[in-house]
Amino acid sequence: MPAAATLKVLVVDDQTSVRQMTRMTLEQIGIRHIHEAENGKLAMDTASVQPLDLVISDFNMPEMDGLAFLRALRGHPAARKVPFILLTGRGDRELVVKAAQAGANNYLIKPFTPDILRQKIEQVMGKLS
Amino acid sequence: MASLDQLKLTFFDECSEALQQIELGLPEIADGAGAEDTINAVFRSVHSVKGGAGIFGFEDLVKFAHVFETVLDAMRSGKLATTHEIVDTLLQANDVLSDLIAMSRSGEAVAPDFGAECRAALEQILRKNSDGEELGDDTDAAPADFDGLDFIPVRVEGFESPDSQGGEQEYRIVFRPKPDMLKKANEPLYILRELRKLGSLDLIVETDRLPGLAEINAGESYLGWTGTLRTAATRQQIDDVFEFVAGDCDLEISTVFAEPTAETGLPVSSDPAPAAAESAAAAAASVSAAEPLGAALPRERPASPPADKVAGSAGETAAPQGAPSKAPAAGATTTRVELEKIDRVVNMVGELVIAQAMLGQVVHTLPEDVSGRLMQVLDEVVHHTRELKDSVMSMRAQQVNAVFQRMPRLVRELAGKTAKKVRLEIAGETTEVDRSIIERLGDPLTHIIRNSIDHGIEPPRDRTAAGKPEEGTIRLSAEHRGSRIVIEIRDDGAGINSERVLQKARERGLVNTEAVLNEDEINNLIFLPGFSTAEKISDISGRGVGMDVVRRNIQDVGGRISLKSDRGRGMTIQLALPLTLAVMDGMVIRVGQETYVMPMSAIVECLRPPTSDIHNLIGTPGMLRLRGNLVPLVQLAELLDIGPMQAVSDERVVIISDAGEGTRFGIVVDELLGHQQVVVKSIEESYGSVPGIAGATILGNGRVAFILDIEKLSDIASSQNVPVGVARFGNGATKSAAAPTAIGAM
Repeated sequence: MPAAATLKVLVVDDQTSVRQMTRMTLEQIGIRHIHEAENGKLAMDTASVQPLDLVISDFNMPEMDGLAFLRALRGHPAARKVPFILLTGRGDRELVVKAAQAGANNYLIKPFTPDILRQKIEQVMGKLS
Repeated sequence: MASLDQLKLTFFDECSEALQQIELGLPEIADGAGAEDTINAVFRSVHSVKGGAGIFGFEDLVKFAHVFETVLDAMRSGKLATTHEIVDTLLQANDVLSDLIAMSRSGEAVAPDFGAECRAALEQILRKNSDGEELGDDTDAAPADFDGLDFIPVRVEGFESPDSQGGEQEYRIVFRPKPDMLKKANEPLYILRELRKLGSLDLIVETDRLPGLAEINAGESYLGWTGTLRTAATRQQIDDVFEFVAGDCDLEISTVFAEPTAETGLPVSSDPAPAAAESAAAAAASVSAAEPLGAALPRERPASPPADKVAGSAGETAAPQGAPSKAPAAGATTTRVELEKIDRVVNMVGELVIAQAMLGQVVHTLPEDVSGRLMQVLDEVVHHTRELKDSVMSMRAQQVNAVFQRMPRLVRELAGKTAKKVRLEIAGETTEVDRSIIERLGDPLTHIIRNSIDHGIEPPRDRTAAGKPEEGTIRLSAEHRGSRIVIEIRDDGAGINSERVLQKARERGLVNTEAVLNEDEINNLIFLPGFSTAEKISDISGRGVGMDVVRRNIQDVGGRISLKSDRGRGMTIQLALPLTLAVMDGMVIRVGQETYVMPMSAIVECLRPPTSDIHNLIGTPGMLRLRGNLVPLVQLAELLDIGPMQAVSDERVVIISDAGEGTRFGIVVDELLGHQQVVVKSIEESYGSVPGIAGATILGNGRVAFILDIEKLSDIASSQNVPVGVARFGNGATKSAAAPTAIGAM
């Protein structure tokens, strides 16, 4: 039963407003250690120096998109098991399927409430304390 | 903590950027010049707008953006060809999008059929090109959740058991014995051997401290080692290896990408190690929960493929932050700051400059022995303030591209409307200038380019007949020249039809029928108010917005405009603008009892001419003979209505200034009081626009002084019948501010 306050989460999206929104919502469910990255490449840089418990990432980003990032993550020996939740807009069905095939653990539709966020995280990591 | 309102602001900022990106990218795509990247960038921009809009509940925006995005998606996956018609529709869609964004921002209600026409066009595009394949998905009824989607959340192990240590851990080890370690009978080799017993060890030795053979002291340790250890041993066991030498070396042991566990036993880092060659396995900087540095070290790319993606310099980011959780996004080099904050700082620096000037004045009144040392210190303060001012002003500086990038679209539209072929070349778009100038640049530039396409560039047939390429070129460039930014708009059109211009000017009584004007003078007639040679007012250049308005706009910001026309070959218009409106170099002058400030940029020369060089013509304040030319004089006292006109005497100072378009005139003042940097304060809010006064400032003595607008004053003077255009200099080139020669050393 992971403690929300100890979890280290990485939020990846090229839009500042989305990152900030996600951050706010994560904090509302008790998560404190939140990293941000603007694209897959920067996310991978962060992921390689910071131990992470969860990644929440968009797909459409410049430099390295979420799919490539996910694959890089899954290819990295130590990051292989890090839970990856896809951030998606409405109507992106194909994307969600692709993500699942690439190894994503769950998906989140923007906008989301703290409850939905918690639910999705718990589906992947077990009940948050 | 960012509130929802702040988030909205951020979102709308992003929308502005997105709109620009779209506007830039679509024409490129139409011309076939866009790379795959371009269409992706445009797609992403619309996608971003849609996403953010969804978060904030701007439903109309979401719906429209969705259709827009779908078309772009089809284009980028190759299912849709990029024709000019489609791009035109997309450009319209961008306009609708922009409007919807503006309405969402202001909270306006959106009319139910707003943008319906465009939307229908987009949907039509999707249907037409479907080739039996469904291009657009169910655009309206996007499910709130993906019902029926076969996505089962994948549970990650390792979270149920609190102490899942199992498996190996990778550690990064930095071991640098201090010089004296050997003397304490501790042999690094044994330590390394012990370490190796724990698992697989990969080390590289550092030899940079190793001196030449002659200098080596066998009893000292010069080497260091860095590398990784992959081991199933506990951290304690590793520490134990170094137990006896802990005090005699620089030691760093840190975990590399810990498995997700609840345990957060991350080591505390010591000094970050300097750049050192790394082994093939991915390595990371040490991280501590208490004080994350987020500072990675520059390292060479390791050989193994997965590590390749990971290890490339993970960003040497900022200093440690107070809150334990926030490490800056690696590699971010810009930040968003509200304009208001920057402007406040600019104001503060302005006040500092003023206070400093006042300080200088006070110091001057002190006795010599005290003031000497004080002046030295003050000089330093002045120097630092100047640097501070420069730094702060550079924060407000923007690339002219902010204005330039609107031009390609303008050119496209106008070329289309006039059935002409025009190409726009842009150079120097990264040249930076203060925001205050950028804002004022748009209108004049737009109008000049409109003129160029409307009147300058000939229709394709005429061009070919004249032996020119069918496509006309307009070249827009910007560069810094001295203390100004010079923007040039050059076209290869027909140039000014000087006969027609002269004829029109005569017809309208703007010019004496007998007056003989050379070509330059004729061309400059277009700057006169009420001048337009268009037979019918074309809807492109609009009504009544003549070059005189353009010139006024430029002069209002203390700039100058000049043009050169080459009949049949083209025309060049040059705008010279100051780099900023906020602070400027000024010459303080006295006229009667009044003190004024003249912009240094308006001063070509100052001198105290002997009376013999002054020629009095009846009804005018006189002419100055200067190096073989006659310069008309203007009595500032009279112009500003200060005191009665007096004959120019030996004590007066004459300041030579440009009257525009190559002519000069001399301004007679009573005294030059000194040169200082002044902070320009606008008086428009309180007094409106006062002709001849560009603003006000507070002098070192604490008193308020008006800043003169020399260009306007010269216009006023000429309208009072001071002969202008009599004195010519060289080839009519305007000269930017030169150091005053006789008086008024800087």
